[in-house]
Amino acid sequence: MNDDGNDIILKTRNLKKTYMQGKIPVHALQGVDIEVKRGELISIVGPSGSGKSTLLSLIGMLDTATEGDVFIDGIEVTKSKEKEFPRLRREKIGFVFQHFNLLPALTALGNVEIAMRFARIHKNDRIRRAKEVLTEMGLGDRLNHKPSELSGGEQQRVSIARALANKPAIILADEPTGEVDTKTREIIFNIFRQLSDGGQTVIIVTHDTWVSERTDRTITLIDGLVEN
Amino acid sequence: MFDIILRNLSQRKIRTALTVFGIGLGIFAVIVMGAMSENFNQTFEKSFALTADKIRVFGASGVFGGSITNSKAAEVRRVPGVNDAYGLLMAPLEEGGGIGPTGSQVVGLPPEKSQVVLSPVKVKAGRFLMRGDRYETVVGTSIASQYELSLGDKLEINDKNFTVVGILEYTGSFFDNTAAVPLDIAQDLFEMGDMVSMIFAIPEEGVDGDLLAKRIKISVDGVDTLSPSELEAEAKQGLAIFSVITISAALLAAIIGGLSVMNTMLMSVMERTKEFGILKALGAERRDILLMTVGEATIMGILGGLFGLAAGWVAVYGLNTWLADQGIVLFLITPRLVIIAMAFAILLGTLSGLYPALRATGMSPMEALRYE
Repeated sequence: MNDDGNDIILKTRNLKKTYMQGKIPVHALQGVDIEVKRGELISIVGPSGSGKSTLLSLIGMLDTATEGDVFIDGIEVTKSKEKEFPRLRREKIGFVFQHFNLLPALTALGNVEIAMRFARIHKNDRIRRAKEVLTEMGLGDRLNHKPSELSGGEQQRVSIARALANKPAIILADEPTGEVDTKTREIIFNIFRQLSDGGQTVIIVTHDTWVSERTDRTITLIDGLVEN
Repeated sequence: MFDIILRNLSQRKIRTALTVFGIGLGIFAVIVMGAMSENFNQTFEKSFALTADKIRVFGASGVFGGSITNSKAAEVRRVPGVNDAYGLLMAPLEEGGGIGPTGSQVVGLPPEKSQVVLSPVKVKAGRFLMRGDRYETVVGTSIASQYELSLGDKLEINDKNFTVVGILEYTGSFFDNTAAVPLDIAQDLFEMGDMVSMIFAIPEEGVDGDLLAKRIKISVDGVDTLSPSELEAEAKQGLAIFSVITISAALLAAIIGGLSVMNTMLMSVMERTKEFGILKALGAERRDILLMTVGEATIMGILGGLFGLAAGWVAVYGLNTWLADQGIVLFLITPRLVIIAMAFAILLGTLSGLYPALRATGMSPMEALRYE
């Protein structure tokens, strides 16, 4: 990555995003500069409307920035063409959502396996990898259960397994403990901690101070800016 | 991807079934209407091919309504370039029945010429009529099966019994619905005096039919002619109009089926907005989403096509069996019709799914994920 040293996996420079709400411009991000090292477990906190989810969607290439740059794993993704985003998302990002966002018709195995289909991975390899990550998540005996047959904690673990399937550079988790009880929250957080200890970069957007207090570092956003 | 497409379709069984039924009805209409059109086309083509070398000579229209007597045949025969000419009398076999591509008919012809008149059709059993025959008849296959006739059996025509002396081979033309009897007997039977329906003139080898037709018209008083190419042009025009009417009605039905696919797919895409957002977040390409949605529509098209084809075949088979008792074959499913109907069903499904698919691929993943 340009001049950032090889342990920086994510860097944003003067990142801005302005939405139009009717005719009124809403400045969701007003110049965000952050750096994240490989293997770090970071939390992004801030009040509602501070731009946390917007920042996450720009890093995850779900949306495009109005201004500024995002570098992921040495690639300036903000300079990439839109048609390259699907490939970059597959290779660089794994998403974990607050509401799990599992496909209800698929089993746990199917939900993890589908993430690798788009990378054109051979079916046998997909199944093997899906079983591997689900087993790592402690769901080896729940492979053929559909989301409706799983608890909230189990669904979120399937969601984490899906995010890990393509071995991404960064895991982006948007309120991953927002829908689970305190015991499950601890289980989920411990999974992120173990992943981070194993070298996986994890960025968690959260309102939950119990989670943010336990991350390596916390970035606080206020009105679209990083609070120093 | 195919398994995902099938899973999506099977998840909404009733909606999928109704859509497939909608397309199926359209294709059913294409098959039934098309089969009718195909039957007329084929009957005409075969009939034309069997009589393509003959010039038809009619009485010129006028006070006597275009009637012509058999004595004119001798005059026609004298025209240079005419190899032979003979009168034919055509009448419906059953009282009140029609003649033409579907109705059974009696054809009165000079018995010694029957082999020439019916040429190149051969008899599959028995013989042609010959000089001296009176109440003898040679029948086509449809009449033979309709009246369950074998050689030696009697066929009643206008209260007179005729002995079947020959059965023609199957031709797929109007000859199959023909009972050939001696001309003088037919004229007596239908009280026609010396009248005939038309005179067939056979050109000598190497003589142009169109030119000879003109020559006959000029040389013989009070006659009008129809050369093979004029007959073909007239008949094809009539068939084309018939085809346009039947196929248009069928296409309309099929397009309504296509709209139902589009409606289903639009609803389905809207309902799955969030799912598409998730898939995009997981790295799905535009082509993956496109393939998934268009694939669903195409499969509904294929299923609808197969359903319509099967229902159409059953209907055509049933109607033909029922009409066979009346000596009529009205429908013919040809390989060409099957291919056209299936291709149309697939095209209809695919095109109807394209717009919803493009809507799905055009969604921003962020907006799609926020969709509730």
